[in-house]
Amino acid sequence: MITITPKRIFDVPIQATCINADVFTGKTLEEIKKLPITEGKENLILDEAFNISEDTAVETPNITLIGDFSKVKRIGQGMKTGEIIINGNVGMHTGEKLAGGKIIVNGNSDGWTGSEMKKGIIEIHGDAGDYTASPFRGTCTGMKGGLITVDGNVGSNVGCYLQGGTIKIKGSAGRFLGHRMTDGTIYVEKDCASRAGPFMTGGKIIITGAVELLMPTFTIDSIKPKVKVDANLTVQGPFYVFLGDIAERGTGKIFALKATNPALVSYEKYL
Amino acid sequence: MVEIIKSVVCPICGCLCDDLEVTVENNEIVKMKNGCAVCEAKMVHGYKSEERILEPHIRKDGKLVPVSMDEAIYKAAQILTDAKYPLLFGWTSSASETQHVGVELAEELGCALDNCCSVCHGPSVMAIQEIGIPTATLGQIRHRADLLVYWACDPWSAHPRHVERYTAFTDGRFEKSEFKEYVQKLKGKASQKKVEAAIRRTQVRYQPSPRPQAAVVEAPPQSLARDGRKMVVFDVRKTMTAEVADYFVQVEPNSDYEIFGAMRCLVNDQELDVDKVGGVPVDYLKEVVDVMVNANFGAIFFGLGLTQSVGRFRNIEIAIAMTRDLNRKTKFVISPMRGHFNVTGANTVFAWQTGYPFALDFSQGYPQYNPGEFTANDLLRRGDNDATLVISADPGAHFPKKSIQNMMKHPLITINPDWNAISRLGDVVFPAQWCGIEQAGTAYRMDSIAISLKKVVEAPKGVPPDEEIIRRILEEVRVIKTQKNKKEEEKGQGQQNLEKKM
Repeated sequence: MITITPKRIFDVPIQATCINADVFTGKTLEEIKKLPITEGKENLILDEAFNISEDTAVETPNITLIGDFSKVKRIGQGMKTGEIIINGNVGMHTGEKLAGGKIIVNGNSDGWTGSEMKKGIIEIHGDAGDYTASPFRGTCTGMKGGLITVDGNVGSNVGCYLQGGTIKIKGSAGRFLGHRMTDGTIYVEKDCASRAGPFMTGGKIIITGAVELLMPTFTIDSIKPKVKVDANLTVQGPFYVFLGDIAERGTGKIFALKATNPALVSYEKYL
Repeated sequence: MVEIIKSVVCPICGCLCDDLEVTVENNEIVKMKNGCAVCEAKMVHGYKSEERILEPHIRKDGKLVPVSMDEAIYKAAQILTDAKYPLLFGWTSSASETQHVGVELAEELGCALDNCCSVCHGPSVMAIQEIGIPTATLGQIRHRADLLVYWACDPWSAHPRHVERYTAFTDGRFEKSEFKEYVQKLKGKASQKKVEAAIRRTQVRYQPSPRPQAAVVEAPPQSLARDGRKMVVFDVRKTMTAEVADYFVQVEPNSDYEIFGAMRCLVNDQELDVDKVGGVPVDYLKEVVDVMVNANFGAIFFGLGLTQSVGRFRNIEIAIAMTRDLNRKTKFVISPMRGHFNVTGANTVFAWQTGYPFALDFSQGYPQYNPGEFTANDLLRRGDNDATLVISADPGAHFPKKSIQNMMKHPLITINPDWNAISRLGDVVFPAQWCGIEQAGTAYRMDSIAISLKKVVEAPKGVPPDEEIIRRILEEVRVIKTQKNKKEEEKGQGQQNLEKKM
């Protein structure tokens, strides 16, 4: 196991694509210390910004990061195997294009975490920023598979262009949840801000808290007693089921818990 | 000596009106014709302000001291090369030639580069990247549009000649001006007020009617079904433009997204499960959509009310999606109401230089783009950069407190013609010429049409164009970098020799 701690408080952002279990595999500690990173425009080696130590007795997790990594971007980008634990906050693009393995954040994560991921698991035991599991600007291929769990709240534009996989949020979700999603599942245990699922054509969003305001482009379909999140989890209802986005002729589904959404009772007359 | 210069281009807003007649007497603009009030305020009075910066300044012991241009250039170049991650911000009131050199400087420095568009119509650019845009030039709209929709903007105040030159009050080749009807409407309103006042005078005691608590949306008037040019305004308050319009829809703040969604369904002949959206009855929206679908050529103009309210670029995305839906049934275009006169130019120049229109980062040696990550306010809010250069902009007056606090922790270089809020805070302050008055150049109109700005008067002695300042800083940066590299090489060789000896 490699343990990495920051040597100082960083003023400017650090791009550290090399902090990745695949890159570290097969390298000695000295080789790892010489991996390139950038601090602003300056080209550095890993050793100049971080203290790095190795514990050969422990194999999993492969990398442990301890301290404030909120200015360090692109940790675990494109990782295929292995496990990274971050004990502290972490910066943008963590686990971007993840293709396997596991990233655990014992803190908050910033924007674009798990962006365009295909496989693997990201666990965030804190809050997650905006654009979690959403693709880069102008890209229309979102998260394709894998699992993201967030213990806290998430920002806006989470799960945009979702094409597969599951996002479980124990806290509340911001606006534009599941924007343009075509498949996959988003489960929000607490409240959800307005404008959930605009432009969605498939997949499902399950909200067990209050829905601030439902988009007028959704139409009520039925009331269901329960809904399946994934193979391990089924949530008991009853749920209002809305179909949409009808402006896109979509068949995406929003499940809103009946008990926490008395304002949606007006839709029942259309059933 | 009095000289009248014709076809002068106005360097204020994105309309870039090119029909001004300027009277110059003893190298001073004394009179102008055709310009709006905003234009006259700058071109006849504002540019001669007593607050003009006439020489470069450097902050020494907390005070700004006048210095030579060479010293200021060297100091600025040194700040920028010493910093790990500088930010270059502004550019939108400069000519495109300056912006072009600015990109070169950013690339040389490996820093962040952003323009004012990130705090105005940046979201429009992002939405266009998401979904594309069906648009047209203002000339085409002038000649053909028979339905004009102004959404969340007030051209009557912010782009005063937009309606007069490009839309409802101009005689196009196929559509006539509605100005006469507007004057009649005004006269009618004035006489109505007179009658009301006379009635009030006859009453013993006048009791004012109670103010309405919530916005009441009036039903669409019958005049909306008539032939000829029609204007519909959607806004959160009754603006000057709304007074002129045939129909004004007062929407609840931050509910534009829902209204666009509902209108998309109505355009696509779908039924809605709700009666009211954003405070507007769906029946009224149906009538507006009918007018839109029956128009021969419609144009939607949107302003900062959409781009800077909740939803930001998603608001524009759904507005464009609605325009796309309308194009299945008729011809419809959509266009942003760009603010600063060359903000479209900044986007265009940055895009053809780097591939991206704003929010750029060169720290990796190649351009990266990500609004939210590399936009000026986000960088400053997080305190990511360690030096700032501001050119032809005034974030000091417009940025949030937190951003300016973080900006002031590090050196600041400013290039502005006058002592605005940010110039007073600068560590190195450069004077600059007024672009479009003292300096010629190229600017892009809000519909991306390039227009040449004219030089009308000579600048005060010793005040260079901003392009020259940026170019000189770039040259100095290159010199300093070469010297640094040489020193490092010598150091490296010395160490190698030492190792050999050991």
